[in-house]
Amino acid sequence: MKISIRGLAVGLALTLCSAFSAHAAASCGDGSGQAATGEPIIIGAITGKTGPDDFSNSTKAAKAYFDCLNANGGIKGRPVKYLVEDDQWNPETAAQLAAKLVDDQKAVLMVGNSSYVECGANAEFYKKAGILVVAGVGVPRECFFADNYAPTNAGPRVSMLGAMGYALDKLNAKSVVCIGPNIPNVGTWSCDGVMLLAKEKGFAAETILMDPGSADATSIILQAAASKPDVIVLGMSKGVAVPLLTAAEEQGLNQTTTFLSAASAYDLSVPSTIGSGWDGKFYVNMEFNDLEATTEDNQNWLAVMDEYGQKSDPRDTFAQAGYLAARITEKALMTLDPANITRETAAEAVRKVKDFKSDIFCAPWYFGEGQARHNANSTTRMAVSESGKWKVVSDCAPSPDPELKDIRAYEKSAGLN
Amino acid sequence: MNILPFIISGLGIGAVYALSGVGLVILFRATGVLNFAFGAFGAMGAHVAWQALEWKMPLFVAILAAVAVSTAISFIYGRVFAPLLSQRDTVVRAVGTLAPALVLIAAMGMIWGELPRRLQFPTDQMFLSIFDVRLTYTRIIAIFLAVLMVGAITLLLNRTRLGLDMRALANDRDLSAILGVRILYTETAAWVITGVFSGFAGLLLADLVRLQGTFLTLLVIPAIAAAILGQLRSLWVTAMAGLLVGIAEAVLTPIAWISPYRAAAPFIIALVAVTILGGTAKAALKDR
Repeated sequence: MKISIRGLAVGLALTLCSAFSAHAAASCGDGSGQAATGEPIIIGAITGKTGPDDFSNSTKAAKAYFDCLNANGGIKGRPVKYLVEDDQWNPETAAQLAAKLVDDQKAVLMVGNSSYVECGANAEFYKKAGILVVAGVGVPRECFFADNYAPTNAGPRVSMLGAMGYALDKLNAKSVVCIGPNIPNVGTWSCDGVMLLAKEKGFAAETILMDPGSADATSIILQAAASKPDVIVLGMSKGVAVPLLTAAEEQGLNQTTTFLSAASAYDLSVPSTIGSGWDGKFYVNMEFNDLEATTEDNQNWLAVMDEYGQKSDPRDTFAQAGYLAARITEKALMTLDPANITRETAAEAVRKVKDFKSDIFCAPWYFGEGQARHNANSTTRMAVSESGKWKVVSDCAPSPDPELKDIRAYEKSAGLN
Repeated sequence: MNILPFIISGLGIGAVYALSGVGLVILFRATGVLNFAFGAFGAMGAHVAWQALEWKMPLFVAILAAVAVSTAISFIYGRVFAPLLSQRDTVVRAVGTLAPALVLIAAMGMIWGELPRRLQFPTDQMFLSIFDVRLTYTRIIAIFLAVLMVGAITLLLNRTRLGLDMRALANDRDLSAILGVRILYTETAAWVITGVFSGFAGLLLADLVRLQGTFLTLLVIPAIAAAILGQLRSLWVTAMAGLLVGIAEAVLTPIAWISPYRAAAPFIIALVAVTILGGTAKAALKDR
């Protein structure tokens, strides 16, 4: 008996400590602090955790938010049971896992998915199964051209054209070279956008596709510099963008040419890695708000990560995307009768989502009911490398991607944004 | 089309391929092991150098630490693990070296993660302009180092007792043992030498290409291509082949239809080399 009283006292002390030590309390669910105890709602997710890169930060953040939600009343008393699977960057595995989550586990929604291979492998299956996906980060084109798949991020092409738009409007660029990876539906897709815009607006553009595994960045840079462009835009991951910038600096190009990049090079470590030679010379597009923004929802994201995530979970854009996907899902499910949450009703509720506001987005997010494709996040910001940090330099601006015509037309007709 | 700038651009990396290729050939000649972990040994050293610089240590300490770590790893594998496989055939011994490569990749991933890093030397900022291309002193050092080290190794092989033993081992292992060549000692020396080569190659590639464990580990492939062109025997042919592989990769850049696939150049060169030189290479292996 003695021991259990002591245990209680310690428990109470710890609870008090944790309650007072948190900077800003995470806000989610009904904020009641009452754990949800009803029948769990099954939500699935597929992410590429093991493989060439780790994309699981999105599902880690979504998990943190759902945990927070479950500790605060859940969906009207029902907790979310969040099942995350790793597709190992293998399309076959991705297809098997989708079948497992949707057919066997009877998931009502897929939320926070972030995978390089999943969209191509599973988009048709999700459509047939009648399940909707509120994805975290989509990369290849297939993620933005599917009936039932709606990512929260902007995608590499919209992001690259966001950077291009900034170069045209603010840097007065008249000529550009686009460097993208030789991966179909990623690099070609992005650089094709730049070429298309060049044709429409009448500026000079050139594309160089490179193997991300190539050792020789200097030759790529020499070739890009050969036509003496005003700006060079990169569509490479940060792991390849840094060596390209290093090679460019070696050739003195940072003195003469401005470099810009799609959001794939936006990482807090990049400015200090590339060094002071790039101060004011390397711009990057941001799909979401500044990771360190002190705005309300961004702070709530960080608070949720602190309270419900692991200390080691990265606080990056993927995590912002996963957090947003979970919040959108919460908003949709809250409109339903908790006794009647099925795949059909959940899909209906997500389809109806519009005007979802968060300061992490530039413009309110919507699903786009009846649309054959989804790309609600198409308004982005820019930042520039400045003494080891990213400095946000622009307000939100719509991406000038010509391919977004259908999206813009829909937004207009539906009275959105 | 002006390809001169691309030739200059390929020189630096080509020189490091040459250095790596020679490091591989030295080891193969003395021990019969084709070391797939060569790149990983170097990558580990380069990461140590980056860490040392991060801790504000002087540059020469960082370089020394890098080469020492690469050499130590090579020594440990060569002294402890490689002899366990010494009675097996060439393929088994080569595949065995994949084990330290994988262990090192995992270790680098755990310690340093996959975030992009930059290893810089002061010589990156100094350059000569040739054909409108800046040839940095780091690249010039790479070229000189390659020539210097190949020269030094040639002297070692031709003028010293150890070199004589190595050449004897390369010619006929069993006969050398009967004649009293200290096999374990000689083989360990070869592992130490290859470790020094991997240390320098790793440092240079981390600076010239990128500091990333998996990537640097895989850069052993162009070096193997060079070594095969040298038929795993000739140091000077290997060195020239390494330079050519680097230049070939760079020169393909302005050719639009092939440019996105030019990273495959070393593989294709190696493949062609194996096909053409297959017969002679087999003879070289039989020797062992």
